[in-house]
Amino acid sequence: MKTCTKCGAPEVIIEKKHSGQRLCQDCFIQGTQQKVLKDIRKYKLIDKGDKVLMALSGGKDSVMVLDILNSLYERNIIEMTAVTIDEGIKGYREDGVRIAEDHAKRLGIEHNLVTFKDSFDTTLDDIMTSSSQRGACTYCGVFRRWILNREARDVGATKIATGHNLDDETQAILMNYLEGNIENLTRIGPKTVSRSEKFTVKIKPLREIPEKEVALYVLARELEVHFAGCPYSQESFRGEVGQFIKQLSQNHPTIMYSTLRGFDKLKPVIKKEFTKEFNMGKCTRCGEPSAHELCRACIFCIEINE
Amino acid sequence: MKFTLIIGDEQETRDFPDETTIKRVLEDMDFPLETVVVKKNGQIVLEEEIIADGDVIEVIKVIYGG
Repeated sequence: MKTCTKCGAPEVIIEKKHSGQRLCQDCFIQGTQQKVLKDIRKYKLIDKGDKVLMALSGGKDSVMVLDILNSLYERNIIEMTAVTIDEGIKGYREDGVRIAEDHAKRLGIEHNLVTFKDSFDTTLDDIMTSSSQRGACTYCGVFRRWILNREARDVGATKIATGHNLDDETQAILMNYLEGNIENLTRIGPKTVSRSEKFTVKIKPLREIPEKEVALYVLARELEVHFAGCPYSQESFRGEVGQFIKQLSQNHPTIMYSTLRGFDKLKPVIKKEFTKEFNMGKCTRCGEPSAHELCRACIFCIEINE
Repeated sequence: MKFTLIIGDEQETRDFPDETTIKRVLEDMDFPLETVVVKKNGQIVLEEEIIADGDVIEVIKVIYGG
């Protein structure tokens, strides 16, 4: 009979192929929380007194980050506020919004809902049903970043926390490498600091936690989350790369960790060689920071309205 | 040996030989193991767990593409 390698309990809920560790529910929850808090200290993601804006979708990843950062919020180490972005994806986003609102209310955390409609006078569904020139993830990513950054400044946040997990991070490394987007690789990491003060520092506390363990954590903690796939995600190159890594991980369970570790070793060299020098100005249309006359969100808005 | 299988909103009774594991049931259905978490009688379990007569097996799809 398989027992927990930490406490000997017989009810094992996970067997980690990459380390050989078997854990019961309590040891898994405790070990995962400790790992995330250790990474926060190791990568200096959060300083005492930070006001953290949680990008809270209501999905498993952001709900897990919220749950763990709440332990710092409860002890008055940080201030915390949350934002949920409604992209306007009918039949998909509604549940996440409700769940996000419920969690924020339960924990007594200030929460704002910001919609694409209010910010850009359109929805992702409308963009994709009209003559969209780009993939859904391209519009969504640019618009979400624009909203997150503005919201962070509006609420006076010093950090933006996102739910990116190990799978997300290895996908980003591999897809940017495969597409030759080496400059994008310079921006991948646990903490993204921009040279413009108008961009708030972004942190990824779950960067070393595999997606499956994130799911297991929220189920073990009995946290309500929105388990559903974005209807647009299957169309993406990221989706294809994600499938490939998952298949590879079946016979090579350490492959995501080694991809991340290898990349982290290479990153200082990539950064030195490929960081672009440019002057960060202001978008003439919306006032957000931009290296060009117009920011990408405004370029997209103009394209959509043409 | 009969057990109840719940996947999302679908629930059905299944008949399998004794000593069948959850993994075997999922493989028979072509369900990718890396995308699900399984509960047996309300408790999270490993996929190697053997199903007993009358068990309720809930398969929760937790990972979607993209």
